[in-house]
Amino acid sequence: MTKNPNSFLTDKKFPFCPGCGHGISIHALNKALKELNLEAKDVVVVSDIGCSGLIDPLFATHTIHGLHGRSPALGLGVAMALSENKNKKVIAFIGDGGATIGLQHILEAARRNVDMTLIVLNNLLYGMTGGQISGLSTKKYKKIIDFEQDIPPFDLIELAHASGARFAVRVNNTKKVKDTLIQAIKTEGFSIVEAASLCPSYGMKKMDDLIEVADAENILEHDRPATILKDKETVSLIEKTQVIKPTFTANVTQRKGFLIAGSAGGGAQSVAKFLAMAGIYAGLETTMKGEYPITVGTGFSVAEVIFDHKKINYTGLLAPEYILIVSVDGLNKVQSKLNTESTILMDEKLVTDELLATYPNILSVPLTKNFNKKSLALAAVAYVLNKENIIPLDALKEAVSTHRLKDIFIEVIDKVIEV
Amino acid sequence: MIEALVQAGADAFVAYPITPSNWMYKYGKERFPQFYAAPDEISTFQWMAGLAATGKLPATSSAFPGIALMVESINMAYAMELPLVIIITQRLGPSTGSATTGAQGDLSILNGIISGNYPVPVFSPSNFEDAWELAAKAVETAIKFRTPVFLLTSKEMVMYQKSFDLNTLKPIQKIERPKVKIDGEYIPYKANKQLVPDFLPLGNDNHLVKITASTHDQYANIRKNDPEALANTQRLHDKFIKRIDELTVYSLDKQNDSNRLLVTWGITSDASRDAINELRNKQEKIDLLVLKSLLPVNPKLFDIFDTYNEIIIAEENLTGQLKEILFGARKQKNIKQVNKVGHMITPKEIINTILK
Repeated sequence: MTKNPNSFLTDKKFPFCPGCGHGISIHALNKALKELNLEAKDVVVVSDIGCSGLIDPLFATHTIHGLHGRSPALGLGVAMALSENKNKKVIAFIGDGGATIGLQHILEAARRNVDMTLIVLNNLLYGMTGGQISGLSTKKYKKIIDFEQDIPPFDLIELAHASGARFAVRVNNTKKVKDTLIQAIKTEGFSIVEAASLCPSYGMKKMDDLIEVADAENILEHDRPATILKDKETVSLIEKTQVIKPTFTANVTQRKGFLIAGSAGGGAQSVAKFLAMAGIYAGLETTMKGEYPITVGTGFSVAEVIFDHKKINYTGLLAPEYILIVSVDGLNKVQSKLNTESTILMDEKLVTDELLATYPNILSVPLTKNFNKKSLALAAVAYVLNKENIIPLDALKEAVSTHRLKDIFIEVIDKVIEV
Repeated sequence: MIEALVQAGADAFVAYPITPSNWMYKYGKERFPQFYAAPDEISTFQWMAGLAATGKLPATSSAFPGIALMVESINMAYAMELPLVIIITQRLGPSTGSATTGAQGDLSILNGIISGNYPVPVFSPSNFEDAWELAAKAVETAIKFRTPVFLLTSKEMVMYQKSFDLNTLKPIQKIERPKVKIDGEYIPYKANKQLVPDFLPLGNDNHLVKITASTHDQYANIRKNDPEALANTQRLHDKFIKRIDELTVYSLDKQNDSNRLLVTWGITSDASRDAINELRNKQEKIDLLVLKSLLPVNPKLFDIFDTYNEIIIAEENLTGQLKEILFGARKQKNIKQVNKVGHMITPKEIINTILK
C-alpha cells in the first residue's frame, strides 16, 4: 500500500459522496492518531459493510475488513489477542445499520471491557441501500420523513454504558470528534464514540440541520480497568485420566449387555460408570452410555453398559442380557424393551401379577425395603453381578473406591450379599 | 479430540454450549490455554476470526443450530484465509427436539457451505483413534492451507464412553507455523508455491497486514470481478483441489477377490466393521472402505469404486448424503444404500442389505 507521508492514510481517493460526513470522521481519526504519536504498525482498523465499510482501503495501518454488523465482535477477537500489548490500538468502525445487526456484539464488547475503540458513524439511515431508516434514526429525523416517528432509536451510549463500557460518548459537532477520539483511544478498556454524520444523498446535508435532529450529546464513564487475557497453564487431559489396570478375572465369554433404568437423582448414570469401570478392572472391554431428559433433574434416567471379552465396535445395545429396573420412571421408559429372553431384575414394589404373567423371567428383589432411593441402582447392579457370577464384587468395590462416597457404596455392596 | 487439538497447536477455544457438544465445551475450557465463553455462535466465530487473524489457532464445537448461525462468518474466514477448527457434533434434525439423538445429517450442508461451492476440508472420525489423529490433522490442515477445517462427529461418538488403551495413541507433534521471510513489501494475498499466502499476524511490528473477506486481489484491495480478483478467488478452490491427496484419509480393508465394497463413515463405521467380520465368518467376500476425509472428494476414490461390481453405502441419514455427493441422486442398480434416522444403523441391517 502507498502511505502518505506523516499520515495514517493511504493515497487512495475517498470513495464517499461529496459532502459525506464519513470523510470528516476519518480525517479526525487520522489527526487523533498523529496527536497520540502512534505508529501505523500499532494500529489495527476493523471495518465492516455499508458506507462506513468503505474506509478499509483508506488506512495505511493494519486492517481487517469483515461482515456487516460484525466489526465489534471481529475487533474484540483481535483486541483479546493483543490485550497484553498496551501499544496496540484496535479501532473498529460501524455504521448505524451495522450497529443494530451487531447490537449484541457492542454490548458484549462493553461488558468485557477489553481495550478497543468502536466508532459508530451515525448518518441516521441506511445510505448504501437507498436511505431507509435505521434503529438509530432519531425521532426528530423520522418526523421529517414522517415515518415511525413515535418509535425511539436505540440509545447506544446508554446501552454501552449500562453494559460496562469504560468510555461512551455521543458527539454531534464534527469539530469535537478528533479530541473525543483522542480521549477514547487513550482510554484503556472499551470505548465507543457515536459520531453524527451527514448524508448528502438521503439524509441531513448541513451540519446545523444534523445537530438539530440528532439526539443530545452525552458522555458516560465507568472507572474499571481493562480486561487483559493471558494464557493459562493447563494439564493434559490424558494425564488427568484415571488409568484402570485389570486386576480381577471375569466370567464372560460373550457379549453381555446391561440396561439400568431409574429416576433422575437415583444414581443410574454413576452406577453405570462404576459397572463399566468394574468390567475393565476385571479385564473386559466395556462401553457405557446414558439417556435422560434435557432437564436432567427430573424424569427417567437410563444407562447402558456392555461387557465383552473382545474389542467392542458397535456400541448399540439391542438385546440386553440384564434389565435392571428400580423406579416407576425407569419402568415406563424401558417397558417396550421388556422381553422373555433377558434377565429382568425389578424392585418388588414394581412387580405386578400382569408383568409376571407376561415375563416369568422377572426377578423380584426387595430393593426399596433394604436400601434408600439413591442406592437402588447400585444395589441392583451388585445383586445381578453376584447372582450371575459375572465379575467379582471386589471389582465393583474397586470401581467405587475413588469416589467421595465410597464408604456408603461399599456398605451397600456388602449389604447386597447379606440380603 | 480436545487434547489432540491442543497438542497439535490449537491455543484458543471459543464456544457457546449446545447439546450434544457440551463435553467438548467442558474439556475445551479445562485444557485450552485460552477459553472464551461467547454469548452466541456468531460472536463465537467472529472472535475466532479475530484471534486467528492475530496469530492464534482457535477451535470451537457446536451442533447444526449453531453452525447455521455461523455460516456467513465461516464464509468470511474462508475468504480471509484464516486457520481455525470447527467440531460439529451431529444430532437428529430438522430443527430442534432431538438434541440427544445421534445422526449423520450434516454432510450435505458442508458440501455447499461456502457460497459458490468452494471446497472446505471435512474430516470425520470413525472411532476414538481417528478422533485423536484427525484432530491433529485438522490443525495441520488449517495451518498448511490457511483455512477453516471441519471435524464432523456425532452425538453417539461424543456421548458414549468406551474402555480404551491410551498406549495406542500415537504421539502428536506440535504443528509449527511456517517461518515467513519477507523481502521488501509484504503482499498479503500473494500465493506461495503451495498456492497459499504467507501468513503474518495482524498487529505485528514488521509489516502492515491487510486482511479482507470481500472479493480482493493479492494486495487485499477490494475489487469486484476483474481478472486479478477472480484469479485470487479461483485460487481458493485450486489450493485444495491441486493438493487434494494431502487432504485424503481413508482405510480400505481389502481381500483379494471381492467384488463388493461396503463404504461408510463416522458413527456407522463400527457397525460396518462388525458386519464385515460376521459376513467373512460366513465366507462372504466383501471389502470395507471407511472414509475419514469426506470433502473435498478425491477423484482417486472412483478408481477404487471402479474395481467393484457392487457398492453398498451405509450412513445414518434419510437419503444417503455421502452417496449423493459421490454418485448423485439417481438410483443405480449396482449401488445399495443402508439409511436410517433416529437410531444407529445396526450390523444386522447392513448385513441384510448386503445379502438381499
